[in-house]
Amino acid sequence: MEAITANSEQLLTAVRQTLLIAGVSALGAMVIGVLVTVARISPVPILRAAAFLFVQYFLNVPLLALLLLAVFALPDAGLVLPLAPTVVIVLALYEGAYVAEAVRSGVNTIARGEIEAARALGLRFNQIMRRIVVPQALRAVVQPLGNIAIALLMNTALAATVGVAELTDTANQLNNSAAQPILIYGFVGLCYMALALAIGLSAGRIERRVAVRR
Amino acid sequence: MAPTRRWRAAAAAPVAALSLILAACGGGSDSADESGSKATGIFADAPVAESLPEGSTMAEIKERGELVVAAALDAPLLSQQNPTDPDEVEGFDITLAKLLATYIIGEPKVKIVPPASQTREAMLQNETVDVVFNTYTITEERAQQIQFAGPYFLSGLAIAVPKGNPEGIDSIDDLAGKQVIVGANTPAVDYVKEEVPDAELVTFDTDPQAIQALAQGRGVAYVQDYLLLATDAATNDDIELATGALTAEPYGIGLPPNDPDFKTFVNEWLTKIQEEGQWAQAFEDSIGEVTGQDAPDAPEIGSVPGS
Amino acid sequence: MSFLYDVPGPVTRRRIRIATAVTALAILALLGFAAWQLNQHDQLDAERWTPFLDVDIISYLLVGLRGTVLAAGVVAVMAFPLGVLLAVARTSEHAALRVPAVVFIELFRTVPVLLLIFVMLFALPRYGFNPSVLWKLVIPLTVANAAAIAEIVRAGIVTLPRGQSEAGLSLGLRRAQVVRRIVLPQALRNVTPSLVSQVVSLLKDTSLGYVVAFTEMLYRAQVLTSYNRLLIQTYVVVTLVYLLVNGSISWFAAWLRKRLDTPADVAVAEVPAVLPVMSR
Repeated sequence: MEAITANSEQLLTAVRQTLLIAGVSALGAMVIGVLVTVARISPVPILRAAAFLFVQYFLNVPLLALLLLAVFALPDAGLVLPLAPTVVIVLALYEGAYVAEAVRSGVNTIARGEIEAARALGLRFNQIMRRIVVPQALRAVVQPLGNIAIALLMNTALAATVGVAELTDTANQLNNSAAQPILIYGFVGLCYMALALAIGLSAGRIERRVAVRR
Repeated sequence: MAPTRRWRAAAAAPVAALSLILAACGGGSDSADESGSKATGIFADAPVAESLPEGSTMAEIKERGELVVAAALDAPLLSQQNPTDPDEVEGFDITLAKLLATYIIGEPKVKIVPPASQTREAMLQNETVDVVFNTYTITEERAQQIQFAGPYFLSGLAIAVPKGNPEGIDSIDDLAGKQVIVGANTPAVDYVKEEVPDAELVTFDTDPQAIQALAQGRGVAYVQDYLLLATDAATNDDIELATGALTAEPYGIGLPPNDPDFKTFVNEWLTKIQEEGQWAQAFEDSIGEVTGQDAPDAPEIGSVPGS
Repeated sequence: MSFLYDVPGPVTRRRIRIATAVTALAILALLGFAAWQLNQHDQLDAERWTPFLDVDIISYLLVGLRGTVLAAGVVAVMAFPLGVLLAVARTSEHAALRVPAVVFIELFRTVPVLLLIFVMLFALPRYGFNPSVLWKLVIPLTVANAAAIAEIVRAGIVTLPRGQSEAGLSLGLRRAQVVRRIVLPQALRNVTPSLVSQVVSLLKDTSLGYVVAFTEMLYRAQVLTSYNRLLIQTYVVVTLVYLLVNGSISWFAAWLRKRLDTPADVAVAEVPAVLPVMSR
């Protein structure tokens, strides 16, 4: 246990770094996901096509390949940001595609009548989106969004492969000096499980609160 | 009971598919690239051991017909795979490995297993590989887990900076309070922490990653082995060396623990290729080619603690 | 989505035309900026791209792709049966089956695969478990994907109308028979598109071979960049290959979804209740 207690400060910093990366990219992914969904169901064909290509690219290419591209390759074209922001942007784009898929399936659950009623009232497309479609679509997919948040938390571990000192990277560093792999990886695994549990429980709570009863 | 049988068949199908896949790919090729077996050039006149004691590790390797080496595939001038001819892996480290293979087997036949930088001790302990040629620094700590032959080269930690040295760094003290790039689990980590405790370490798993990070300004300097940096600087116009070797870093040939005969044997071979000129030739064909340097004097075998 | 808006009238048509023009301009501006930025740094020079037409380089990457497909195939073959078993166990009446399944699924769903790979690399060899690189990649991916597949299959089981299994039981079938003959066949059919989509996710996961130095496409791309220093070009080419391969699988999943006409609620419930250990 000493390897844990003696390095509690380093571990705490690492947890904070993981949470920061996960939190900021989750926010980004939500915004991107909703915008892309709106683009995908908009009456503007080119917007629909662009949104489709965006989603396809980020759903089908491995996150690690995107990270290597952004962290090691793009700087050759003069596009450099510090490591953690680069990771956050890539994660937000990547998970944004998943959010877009989830929200789109939420849109499908909205009763046609509601939208027809809105149209009958003379609301425009953007008003229908803002007031009726997006709020209900999001409520319908709280659980899937919670699962995406957990997946995102898991994916922050890949930041370790490009040199960000988050939780997984710190586990490795500690193991190198303490050489107690089972203890250290086990403890860090428990940290991830606890964080995932927290996300899962809050998703459940949020869902009960906002669920649309039909 | 037809449905039951169908169910069994369905359950068996994946297993059959698995064995098919595995068979088709020869049991899964572990990124092992066999190297050319032609005894030309440097290998033509290389020494070959006259006899191998029966039951020894060397005899086992000869029996097997190839030397299994932990070496990089992505280290230019040291051990770099040539993608236009993937069987060809070139550089100082791998040439020495092939010379050792020649000494044991009579042909430069090696099988390369690329290590993740943190697993080399484990690879030797578990007998995944016979030897490690991987800019492997001899330390007493590592020598408790495995054996080192050599040293076969003396290097040391040095500082590389982006081209033009924008921060004007010429000693380790200049790194105080700055972001410094180091390789994960390399001696540089402790060295920088020791010398400039308030420097902020940015860690990367592999040397190519660290070099790219330096060229892209993710740190003001990169502290790494001199030899590695020299080869990097020779092939990458974006970086340069700010210092010579600041520490004495002896590279050794990693060998499995508890096998003193094998260690003696490898040391004898190393002496031989130093005397007969293959060692210098290997240097000049690789690192010397780009740095324009002649081969330095070979280090004295067993001259450092841990070897 | 046509019910979202009326058949456009003249005003709307004009508005759509304007939006189209603005979007097109924005996209062109973005592409133009990218091209300009790349060109500023000589990244668009022909000689930086032509190496990827070279037969040797193509076959170098194709051997990598073969490794990717091999690893994905091995993972799929092991993870699918395991996932189905876990799903059945988790929905079982017996706690002795349910509890271990819940523990397995929740454990491997909430621990990063990379951490599991590090355990394979740095922890288990100390205790004498030291398989080849392929297995160091494949075992962590298998347990993680089996957990994901179990959740997909469970969604299929849970969303099946109760009447199905009640009818089976009232005919005198045993529970195991009901699961085997009635529940699973229908549940699996309903989630087949999601399972095909999981193949995409699993194939993407094999890029972690980069970490263990297994010869798959991303690892070969990394070795290639250390040789030719064409980072942007190499990684762009590789992401496009992934897009092509996985895009085809995704397209197949979408086609299946339409063809099988899977109930929409299964699609939404693909990834159902998070941690239902608590809510059960």
